[in-house]
Amino acid sequence: MSQSQNQTRNTKRAFAQRPPRPTTARGPRAGLALSFLLHAALLSATYLTWSRMVNVSEESHAVPVDLITVTRVTNVAAMAPPPPPEPPKVEVPLPQLEPPSLPQFQDVEPAPEPPIPQFKIQPEKKVEQPKTEETSKKQNSQDFAALLNKLTAPPKIPPNTKVGPRMVQGIGAANAMTADLADALKSQIYQCWSPPVGAPNANDLVVDFDLTLNPDGTPGRADSDALNSANPFTRAAAEAARRAIFQCQPYKLPPDRYSQWREINPLRFDPRQMMEQ
Amino acid sequence: MRKLLLICALALAALSPLPALAALQVDVTQGNQQPLPIAVPDFLAGDPSQTQTGANIAQVVRADLERSGLFKPIDPKAYVEHITNINVAPNFGNWRVINAQGLVSGQVAVQPDGRLKVEFRLWDVYGETQMLGQQFFTQPENWRRVAHMVSDAIYSRVTGESGYFDTRIVFISETGPALKRIKRLAVMDEDGANPIFLTRGDYLVLTPRFNPSAQMIAYMSYIATKPHIYLFDLETGKQEELGNFPNMTFSPRFSPDGNRVGLALETAGNSDIYVMDLRSRAIQRLTTDPAIDSAPSFSPDGRQIAFESDRGGPKQIYVMNADGSNQHRVSFGAGQNGTPVWSPRGDLIAFTKEQGAHFQIGVMRPDGSGERMLTNAYHDEGPTWAPNGRVLMFSREAANGHGSQIWSVDVTGRNEQRVMTPGDASDPAWSPLIQ
Repeated sequence: MSQSQNQTRNTKRAFAQRPPRPTTARGPRAGLALSFLLHAALLSATYLTWSRMVNVSEESHAVPVDLITVTRVTNVAAMAPPPPPEPPKVEVPLPQLEPPSLPQFQDVEPAPEPPIPQFKIQPEKKVEQPKTEETSKKQNSQDFAALLNKLTAPPKIPPNTKVGPRMVQGIGAANAMTADLADALKSQIYQCWSPPVGAPNANDLVVDFDLTLNPDGTPGRADSDALNSANPFTRAAAEAARRAIFQCQPYKLPPDRYSQWREINPLRFDPRQMMEQ
Repeated sequence: MRKLLLICALALAALSPLPALAALQVDVTQGNQQPLPIAVPDFLAGDPSQTQTGANIAQVVRADLERSGLFKPIDPKAYVEHITNINVAPNFGNWRVINAQGLVSGQVAVQPDGRLKVEFRLWDVYGETQMLGQQFFTQPENWRRVAHMVSDAIYSRVTGESGYFDTRIVFISETGPALKRIKRLAVMDEDGANPIFLTRGDYLVLTPRFNPSAQMIAYMSYIATKPHIYLFDLETGKQEELGNFPNMTFSPRFSPDGNRVGLALETAGNSDIYVMDLRSRAIQRLTTDPAIDSAPSFSPDGRQIAFESDRGGPKQIYVMNADGSNQHRVSFGAGQNGTPVWSPRGDLIAFTKEQGAHFQIGVMRPDGSGERMLTNAYHDEGPTWAPNGRVLMFSREAANGHGSQIWSVDVTGRNEQRVMTPGDASDPAWSPLIQ
């Protein structure tokens, strides 16, 4: 048994052995009535006083006050002397800024107004390209109908080839175990990837790579069929992805798990989410 | 018996294939949109007299690529290797050091017949392969245009879409005080070089448009008492009024084959869309609504026409077939939408949105979906597409009324920049690639 428990038990025993209190001569009933009256009077007086005299504002707030000891010597500066008379203003010429180098119009002969044109514009001479058929001789047409004959059919919009069905991702324990590796690689490579987001068909820009990494994180082989695509948008997207692969090397991945990140296939670059943003 | 079963079990376990080590699969869906760092050293000169030409061509190519917003030319002072022979593969490591991802090496030489030969190679610095090699022959004074063609070739090879540097802009040049404004038809190269006035400014001119061959311009002028549409032949300088209408004609726009012009014709206070065949000069009325219909713009295949109309209350964009059938509203956004211009690649319609006190340039799909605003200034108006459908030009006026300027913006909403013009300019129209 602890010491504190012994103390409590002794105190209770002492109260039990205390003699009865002395009472008044008039007896217990008269004292009880007097006590009741006095208590009732005290309570009523207290109620009247606090309910009417004290008006506690519920909106009062504690105001933090900082007590600052004022030093004997203040830091207020002496009154400033009157300002000296201003010297006469000197006109400083502002530096003449050079206007931006804008191209200047070439003054040509007075432009014609219908119906009698007065000047001719010197057309630029055609630039010859090798391996192309010689362009037809310039036709000095005198009327608009002849000019219309030179119009060629508008170039057809090349049909956008569609990317084949997306490969089914592997399922199973192997992916769950390597999810952190995929995230680690993504977090490094995305910084270097600048996809051509302005292309008209987003599906043309999804490219897959078969990437082999060396143990030091440098790329060994980065192959993609899209690099040889006939679709210029797909080929440009593949080249942008290849630049990203080589620019962000070497990749920092756990060396003890090299067997898991030695080959990445497919390493897919898919900008469709970016194009929707 | 138990031993036999145990042996069989062990044998089966040994024969069962081990779990194959599957290749890691990674799906990269987020990137970092950055312009491509590219090095364009001055083109080598076959003889010392062409040194300046080689430097000039490289300078124009660098400016073109940088203006596109998709390339970031590297300051030549940072180069650690100097190209001395464009027919030898460069030391790619020296270019990777300065973070170049592309390298252009070129040279110029004068041929015995006096022509200028310009050749260049585009290298993939990280792939360590040549991406492109071309050569051009031209008269020496055409060096600037060849430089634009080199820029177009590089742009096209890297992005997959055709370039737009070898093009022209026709616009309205504005000079003089506000109350006595002189507006002249003018044309310049896409980079602002070689500006030329086409009219003297005696009459107000508005809304110039190129035809598909970039040799003819349709525009509206107040030469007569009422505004009418005129044609201007850039090759001969001839001008001609389009049709002989008693009333006002405006908002001309060529069809993609250049054989027709869509226009608005006003009759008794009501304007409707018409199409004129330029060969027969026959005219066909396409809309008959009592509301104001104007600003027709053909789709790239010529089968449909977008136009603006206030037939439903506020001005909105409508689309119809080229014969006038199937007229239906496509814009339902807030404010008023007008000046529709169909993209050359057909996937978008650019327009001007008027909301509150602001005018903005936006794009939407031809069915009206996917509306998004590309600019957010006080007053942008009158979009025109680059021939590859990737960039837009438009007029911009500031709130302080300090004249009008021409600006451009990428279709993604990036790379907003001013197009330098001599003085104030408005109402630009982009030509197709010059043939």
